[in-house]
Amino acid sequence: MHARTEAFDAAWSRFRDDSLVRRIATTPGSTELPSEAPALLDLYRTLYECTDGALSPLVGRALEQWGYDSAYHLRTRDSVAPVPRWEDAVAWDGRALHTVRPVVLDIGAAGKGYLVDLVAEVLAAAAITAFTIDASGDILHRGGAPLRVALEHPLDPARAIGVARLGDGALCASASNRRAWPGAHHILDAISGAPAMRVIATWVTAASTLVADGLATALFVGEPGRLAREFDFEWVRMLRDGTVERSSGFDAEMFA
Amino acid sequence: MKTLHRRRAAVALGGLSLAAGLAGCASAPAASDESGAPAASADYADGDYAATGEYQSPGGAESIEVEITLEGSVVTGVTVSGNATAGNALRYQTEFEDGIAAEVVGVNIDELAVDKVAGSSLTSDGFTAAIEQIKADAVA
Repeated sequence: MHARTEAFDAAWSRFRDDSLVRRIATTPGSTELPSEAPALLDLYRTLYECTDGALSPLVGRALEQWGYDSAYHLRTRDSVAPVPRWEDAVAWDGRALHTVRPVVLDIGAAGKGYLVDLVAEVLAAAAITAFTIDASGDILHRGGAPLRVALEHPLDPARAIGVARLGDGALCASASNRRAWPGAHHILDAISGAPAMRVIATWVTAASTLVADGLATALFVGEPGRLAREFDFEWVRMLRDGTVERSSGFDAEMFA
Repeated sequence: MKTLHRRRAAVALGGLSLAAGLAGCASAPAASDESGAPAASADYADGDYAATGEYQSPGGAESIEVEITLEGSVVTGVTVSGNATAGNALRYQTEFEDGIAAEVVGVNIDELAVDKVAGSSLTSDGFTAAIEQIKADAVA
């Protein structure tokens, strides 16, 4: 599991000088990506289209400029360049990524959830069939009794807005209250280049942690109905005004 | 002590107190009646307990120290001390410490758990780890 995690980090980390992502950020050209890349980039492409470009893996440079870099500067905005459009900046042929200029990939929307799936594959290969992986906000549960999962209130972590029941599958949460600094946080709308403000927390259940994690981010900038045409998932989200929206099939007792 | 707890109730943060709140929300309004709650199978020895919980923050490893007073398997006192020295971890730990006692006090320790918390908190991982140690230490 540690080897799998290390290999993933070595390829995709925005924060490591020796990562593939860092190389792509400095050197335009063609970069062959590791075997886990197709599923990840295919998901990103679909989310990109379903959100009309608002969810994009090309927000890395803007995140750095907002201050979410390896040193975690948390400085406030001074100047943030527009996020490049996918079709202008990169081409993905299923094996290699071709870039014509330096781009900073950021797979923060779905990368951690995907790594949970990859670690689960390691467990499955070892014939371990019942387990729970909790990657702090991204949970995958297989076998055994369903879990009771508290849905943490984004403005008051002492409280839950509900308790979800998680059988076999993934539950991912995303909230803008951490990795935040005055006037900004880490979930950027790629169209405006600014932090997404209307939604403040999301929860998604889906069969895979990759999809649940990606959708949890997409629900900050996209519409559930549109996403539901492409993905099989259930969801809850809280808006800035405190309104809670949810899909009818989300298996939870809700308090808010 | 009561004054202290009431003052701390003004801001409420923290994973464990979350679970305490859930027990109240999820069951019938008769909060003082334990009949609707899961049977408290474990008994805990009275006394003061302390444990350190570790968690990972974006700024690196951090830890918090949790001290619990148990009387009749009920938490009657909580002290949380953060060891964070800088940045966000310090800010979050301060908020966490401010809020926690009032929420947890008076709740049976066996109710202090849902299986998981889904949000974006980091500190609560450390708190939960410390509580698990204390529960193990305190089983009579």
